[in-house]
Amino acid sequence: MRPLVVAGVLAVAVGLLAALDRGVAAAISPTSTVVTLIGVLGVVQGIRYANARRDRRRLPTDPGEPERRAPAAVPGADLDERIARVASPAPGGYRDRRDLRDRVREVAVDAVARDRNCSREAAEATVDDGTWTDDPVAAAFFDARTGYPLRVRLSATVRGRSRYWYGLRAAIDEIDRIESGGAA
Amino acid sequence: MSDPRGEVASGSADSADSAGSTDTTDPADSTDPRSDEDEDGVAVGIDSARGDDPDATATGVESDAAEREDDAAATGAAETPTDRERRREVETDRWLGIAGAALALVGLGVIVRQSSLVLAGAVGVGYAVYARAGDAPTPTLAVTRSVSDETPAPGDEVRVTVRAENVGEAALPDLRLVDGVPPGLAVVDGPARVATALRPGTAVSFEYTVRAARGDHEWGPLTAITRDAAGARERTADLDAPTAVSCTPELSAGGDLPLRGLTTVHHGRVPTDVGGAGVEFHATREYRRGDPVKRIDWNRRARTGELSTVEHREERSATVVLLVDARESAYVAADPDAETAVEASVAAAGQAFSALLDGGDRVGIAALSPLDCWLPPGSGTVHAARGRETLATDPALAPTPSGERFYRSLWLRRFRRRLPADAQVLFFTPLADDTAATLARRIDAHGHLVTVLSPDPTATETAGERLTAFERRQRLRTLRSGGIRALEWRDDSFPVAVAAATRRWSR
Repeated sequence: MRPLVVAGVLAVAVGLLAALDRGVAAAISPTSTVVTLIGVLGVVQGIRYANARRDRRRLPTDPGEPERRAPAAVPGADLDERIARVASPAPGGYRDRRDLRDRVREVAVDAVARDRNCSREAAEATVDDGTWTDDPVAAAFFDARTGYPLRVRLSATVRGRSRYWYGLRAAIDEIDRIESGGAA
Repeated sequence: MSDPRGEVASGSADSADSAGSTDTTDPADSTDPRSDEDEDGVAVGIDSARGDDPDATATGVESDAAEREDDAAATGAAETPTDRERRREVETDRWLGIAGAALALVGLGVIVRQSSLVLAGAVGVGYAVYARAGDAPTPTLAVTRSVSDETPAPGDEVRVTVRAENVGEAALPDLRLVDGVPPGLAVVDGPARVATALRPGTAVSFEYTVRAARGDHEWGPLTAITRDAAGARERTADLDAPTAVSCTPELSAGGDLPLRGLTTVHHGRVPTDVGGAGVEFHATREYRRGDPVKRIDWNRRARTGELSTVEHREERSATVVLLVDARESAYVAADPDAETAVEASVAAAGQAFSALLDGGDRVGIAALSPLDCWLPPGSGTVHAARGRETLATDPALAPTPSGERFYRSLWLRRFRRRLPADAQVLFFTPLADDTAATLARRIDAHGHLVTVLSPDPTATETAGERLTAFERRQRLRTLRSGGIRALEWRDDSFPVAVAAATRRWSR
């Protein structure tokens, strides 16, 4: 960068000198090729400078929206964010998946224990071996040995979602069914 | 640049003297260390003029001189620029690349040997110079904000008028003002902002309407954004114009709240298992000398010839503490625009407060919040007014979370120390997390009978919301199975829920 700066300063100095002293200007007397080259240099540099605008993110002050009342948090919105993170079929996020699965499992065990009027241990066993529900997708969510049904695998592949996400939704639907069935 | 220091000095003699000493205290300076220009002196000068005010009011009771100074500041307020805090100064990059475009045009003109193109490029150079020439002016504004009603009732519409006068010497070619509406208030009419240009001495005013909601609401500073004529530079400043409204709802008694059996020695309305004076039959016992004649069971005397005395259930008053969950996790609602569970809890606590006071019980108020809030149990009209005030405007029960950290064990220790031994607790909480349920159980375990009253804030749209709803319901069940009374309600149905629960609960 440094030599370029020196060259630039020199060129400006010579230009100024040429403007003041006709003798210097006459001594330079560039050919048309040199003039064209200078023109091309000007165009190239100009476009380079102008291009700086393209990738610059402009950050004018954002005054926000003071007119709106501070929005309230919706219970479960943070969970939805986590669910969205694990919904992608990309590997990773094991801990998130495990935590979520544990939380759903707790709720499922409570629901089954109440529905079947059995002990928590018995309910845990039914949830873990998949006999707590008729829905194979919900059963596969907690039971690592039985795989997800073929239609879920296909659908997950086609729609670019993880099987886990299908399992989670099915399990929550199933818990909902048990809860509302118990209440009725 | 403008320098209204003279005006300030005439308004308040102290301010100009202290300008130098407070030079380093302006927090805005840290945001932009390289722009220490002459305006700084102005800003700090005003700073100190304002900074003197609280002292003047604090000590003004004894000192006449301080009061006069305060008056002088008040009368001078019309021309005095409002206290200003610089926020940020940026290049907007609006004209970025114009020099490049001009250079490219000139270069093209040289290549094709067209002098007109070279001249056209010169126009671009003109724009580039125009963009660089100006600087965003510092807004020297006198801002006043007035509200149509400082103590509105909840739901009232309050008209807010903001007037900003350019008291500096520089014109403001591009000025945007955005008002700092309190986060707990919603604007229902008109935007709380204006964009204009102001010559020196001219003023702009704009109006908008907010709907009042419970609580003390303080306006934040007015944000002023100025740009130079070319819009290439931008300067943001906060202008402090303190305004507040205080909205205190009337307390209406809602439903006769069933209390549990923990009572004081004073007479009241909670039936106890102690025999004595009362209306409900409790037991009979053998006659003792001195028992009133009208309490003798004459039927039994006729049947068996023995004298026996009828005892009634003694009715006593209770000491009740209304505990409102106002941790950050309790500021939840089924819809982002709906009232939070804290609002629902406070409204219900207000109904319970007046119902219990009317029934002769001693009632106190506490908040489960990072900020301290404690109204010791009491009775009487003064206490009723104090309770209404606490529920409406205590910072711990503010309509938006305070953002401070909550320490559970510290809070519990302090709460237990304050709680009278014979007090029972009505715990208003959305049960949004396990902490609330654990605390309810622990307070109950310490011998203070707890009744949990829970507004239901859960939504059932998405998977996460449903899972949270299941977990909350499970918490309620666990509490109930642990012998703690729990009641839940949705929306405004608190009195209905109380009436239903009263039928369900035996004492």
